[in-house]
Amino acid sequence: MGPDRSIITAHAGPGSTERWSSPGRRSRPRMSLNLTPMIDVVFQLLIYFLVCTNFARGEQIYKLDLPQRGTAPTQADPFQLDDEPLRIQVLSLGSEPGDYRLRLEGPWPRVADFQQLYEFLEQRVISSDNPTGLFAPDHPIVIEPAGSTSWGHAVGAFNASVRAGYNNITFAETN
Amino acid sequence: MSRVHQRGRARIEANLTPMIDMTFLLIVFFVLVSQITEIEVVKLDLPRPTRAATQPLPDEQRSVINVLPGEDGAVQGYRVNAMDFPATVEGVEAMTAYLVRLYEARPDLNINLRADRSTDFRWVQPAMTAATTASGIAAGIQDRTNPRTRINLVVIKEQNDDGT
Repeated sequence: MGPDRSIITAHAGPGSTERWSSPGRRSRPRMSLNLTPMIDVVFQLLIYFLVCTNFARGEQIYKLDLPQRGTAPTQADPFQLDDEPLRIQVLSLGSEPGDYRLRLEGPWPRVADFQQLYEFLEQRVISSDNPTGLFAPDHPIVIEPAGSTSWGHAVGAFNASVRAGYNNITFAETN
Repeated sequence: MSRVHQRGRARIEANLTPMIDMTFLLIVFFVLVSQITEIEVVKLDLPRPTRAATQPLPDEQRSVINVLPGEDGAVQGYRVNAMDFPATVEGVEAMTAYLVRLYEARPDLNINLRADRSTDFRWVQPAMTAATTASGIAAGIQDRTNPRTRINLVVIKEQNDDGT
């Protein structure tokens, strides 16, 4: 006769278990908590929040430094000539990503899209690879979207300028 | 029969307490984080520039201005953190006053600007103007050594074909 055959297991209620040895040798009942349903529920909640939580996935930034308004300008070098900014006008023609028109103010060639704008800017930036470039990386570039220009198109022009290696880019104010 | 043989079979039990502790901590974390992101990250169709030369979101003190989109390129209003402001002159003035208080409390504050890509620029610009005006007013009280306002333009960076 093995010891296991004499053990009787009885469930006294949900979540508790009482055990005895043989009827003649009754020991103290052992109470234990059944944690399985709680763990089930907790994992369900965990999966729910993992699925529902929407982080800012894929979001990145451009750093844009704008001059403060309402403060006195800092003391400038009186002998330093201001660089005439390169002005890029952006006009939306529709809601599609390709529905826009670009125009460079000044004696510059026409650019049809953001890729051509990037190439124009990239060919003229002064760098170690291009020491005879026309514009320093901190040459001011002003993006001039019209009031009706969509934000996506304005950001497209901004991106082309950043890609080309410029770091002094601002948005002009619309009238 | 020896005593050794009279003992029952060895019972193997897993101690689940640490796992339950960890699970509850994770749940509390996700509950809190989901509430924070709902306030800050309004669902918007952000610009998706091709070959974006962007930077990752920095881990620094910042507030978020959401330009809440309306119809036909217009907007419903502006949301700064959890505060809503209408897209009117009075609303932009109130937003500026709110931003002044934020800049006074945290002079190194950066502003994350989130706007729908279909929103007209005329509705995005007041948010930038409010930030530059507010930082100027706050800097006038504290110092004038940093005459520029840092605004982070938030976009979606998509993977290009070459993996960049």
